[in-house]
Amino acid sequence: MQRSTLGDVTYNWVIGCLAGLAILILVGPVLIVIATSFTTSQTLRFPPPELSLRWYGELFDPVRSAQIHIAALNSVWVAGLATLIGAVLSVLAALAITRVTRPSARFIEASFLSPLILPTLSYGLAALMFFSVLGIRPSLNLLIAGHLVVIAPFIFRTTLASLTQLDPVLLEASANLGASRIYGFRRITLPLIAPGIAAGCFLAFISSMDNVPVSLFLSNARTSMLPIRMWGMMESTLDVRIAAIAGVLILATLLLMIVMDRLTGLTKRMSG
Amino acid sequence: MQPALARQLLAPPLQIPPRVVAISMPMLAAPAVMTAQPLTLDGITHSYGGGLAVDNVTLEVKGGELVALLGPSGCGKTTLLRIVAGFIQQGNGKVTIDGRPIDTLPPNRREIGIVFQNYALFPHMTVAENIAYGLAARGESREVQAQRVAEMLATVQMGSFADRKPRQLSGGQQQRVALARALAMRPRILLLDEPFAALDKNLRLDMQIEIKRLQRQFALTAIMVTHDQDEAMAIADRIAVMSQGRIEQLGTPVQVYDEPATLFVNNFIGSSNLLNGKVEAAVDGGYRVALANGAVWTVFSKARFEPGQPVVVSVRPEQMLLADEPAPDRIPVTLKLSLPIGGELIHDVISQSADSLKVAIARRPGMASGGTGTAYCGLAGHARPALFPASNP
Repeated sequence: MQRSTLGDVTYNWVIGCLAGLAILILVGPVLIVIATSFTTSQTLRFPPPELSLRWYGELFDPVRSAQIHIAALNSVWVAGLATLIGAVLSVLAALAITRVTRPSARFIEASFLSPLILPTLSYGLAALMFFSVLGIRPSLNLLIAGHLVVIAPFIFRTTLASLTQLDPVLLEASANLGASRIYGFRRITLPLIAPGIAAGCFLAFISSMDNVPVSLFLSNARTSMLPIRMWGMMESTLDVRIAAIAGVLILATLLLMIVMDRLTGLTKRMSG
Repeated sequence: MQPALARQLLAPPLQIPPRVVAISMPMLAAPAVMTAQPLTLDGITHSYGGGLAVDNVTLEVKGGELVALLGPSGCGKTTLLRIVAGFIQQGNGKVTIDGRPIDTLPPNRREIGIVFQNYALFPHMTVAENIAYGLAARGESREVQAQRVAEMLATVQMGSFADRKPRQLSGGQQQRVALARALAMRPRILLLDEPFAALDKNLRLDMQIEIKRLQRQFALTAIMVTHDQDEAMAIADRIAVMSQGRIEQLGTPVQVYDEPATLFVNNFIGSSNLLNGKVEAAVDGGYRVALANGAVWTVFSKARFEPGQPVVVSVRPEQMLLADEPAPDRIPVTLKLSLPIGGELIHDVISQSADSLKVAIARRPGMASGGTGTAYCGLAGHARPALFPASNP
């Protein structure tokens, strides 16, 4: 065991403090909102005077929280379909991009990824104006299209990453053994890039679920989305149900993450 | 009998009793009945961008023969292999199997088996699934697949590994699976891409014997690509030494070693001493050569040389000797170093004209060094030095 010098001690102390601060900033708000959601009080005050499930009961009441339920279902529907369509398009795009070595392919790759950098607020406004010029009225389908543009790059990026890790010799071996391209894709490529696709879908779904800028421009009263509805409640009533929604969302994300880890961990183990 | 056997084979392969393996062995005789098919490369030329990778290569591999393409990296041997496999469409030339051209066939319809350099086993599949892959792709029934998998596992003596994943296997075991996977398709031609490069030295000999055995058993016409001359010498029937996209020499391992056609082949295969000299006169079946360091040797050669022409004489270290007495055909040398390498003692000696020579002599037990000081270096009685024009690079 080496003796630690004063320098080491100071170093450890500073790093420890910084880490503690980071955890406080990152995790603190989550803990506060969860604690608040269990309050008995009428207001979003922290700390809660007493703990109860009152606001969760309120949130799940089918009559009083009907608007929230509609918004939540809309959000899940839009996120789910946008992710599904995004997955198909992104996998196809990634397959094509990895096969081409021309410089133009790098340009196309960059433009497919550009929505990740583009200010989403500008995109939301642009989409609204574009669709009004075309005379398309706001609808859930429009929201799906809008979200698709913003979230597909997540899937595209992770799929591309796992495709570049795929050893091309495996596909040569597949062809050499008499398999058609489609057969090779189904039995070699797809199983080996599945964890990448799944990880991208997870990110895409989550990012669609809490996307505000695009929904803000493309939704209306009939197609209300959960984050927009939450903000509306926040502005008007300071309803404690907002904290309960946040609690449910955090729990759902946590569960989804565990499922994802199990799945990709499993596929990782299967693919060696 | 058939359903019962199928049921047995469909059971988890770990439980296949050794008896079944023994029964399946005679079935292996079946493929041997197939006649081996010759493979012909006719004027193959291929270039990448600017450089010519393969330059007008013509090679006829007889049915059941194993030809090694031997050469340094970049000599075009791998390109040639990939052309035969169909992964590269050659710029020019024709590949035929048993007289039928295969150039227009895509890789998945060529019925050529390949053992890839790093085996390219499918990492997410078990050994059994790997071996069955080609059959499954072809739409064979599960019974046929299971039967062939069991047969192949028995052939490569991997019966108890059917349910393992490739990463749970050693290098040698992975290679056996790769072989089984290729042979399960009953290919006509087997291509081996640097098959022993990733194996431990001790394992290499075992796998060389194994591959040779399977190649004979399945009557396969085979091409092996390697940069390792020992591998090529060990298992090839003939060796094609390649350099800069061309075949420099095609011959049996003994021919290539004993009678190298060019200086490149001479230097690439085995080690040799190169001595500069001049042709003095033609003698019966060869030439009398005056070496720059004073000795005069008679060297047999079928090539034509003019008297006075500068030449390079090449002698293998094991074809030289060290003696105590001088003679006209011996070079006075000073011993620098002696290395006991296995059964041989390698002497590093230096002549008065500062040529460094290697002399290998069989080592007697206990012998560790050849002493020091001055000696006379000459040709052993069995020596067959080779003669090349000096201008040859």
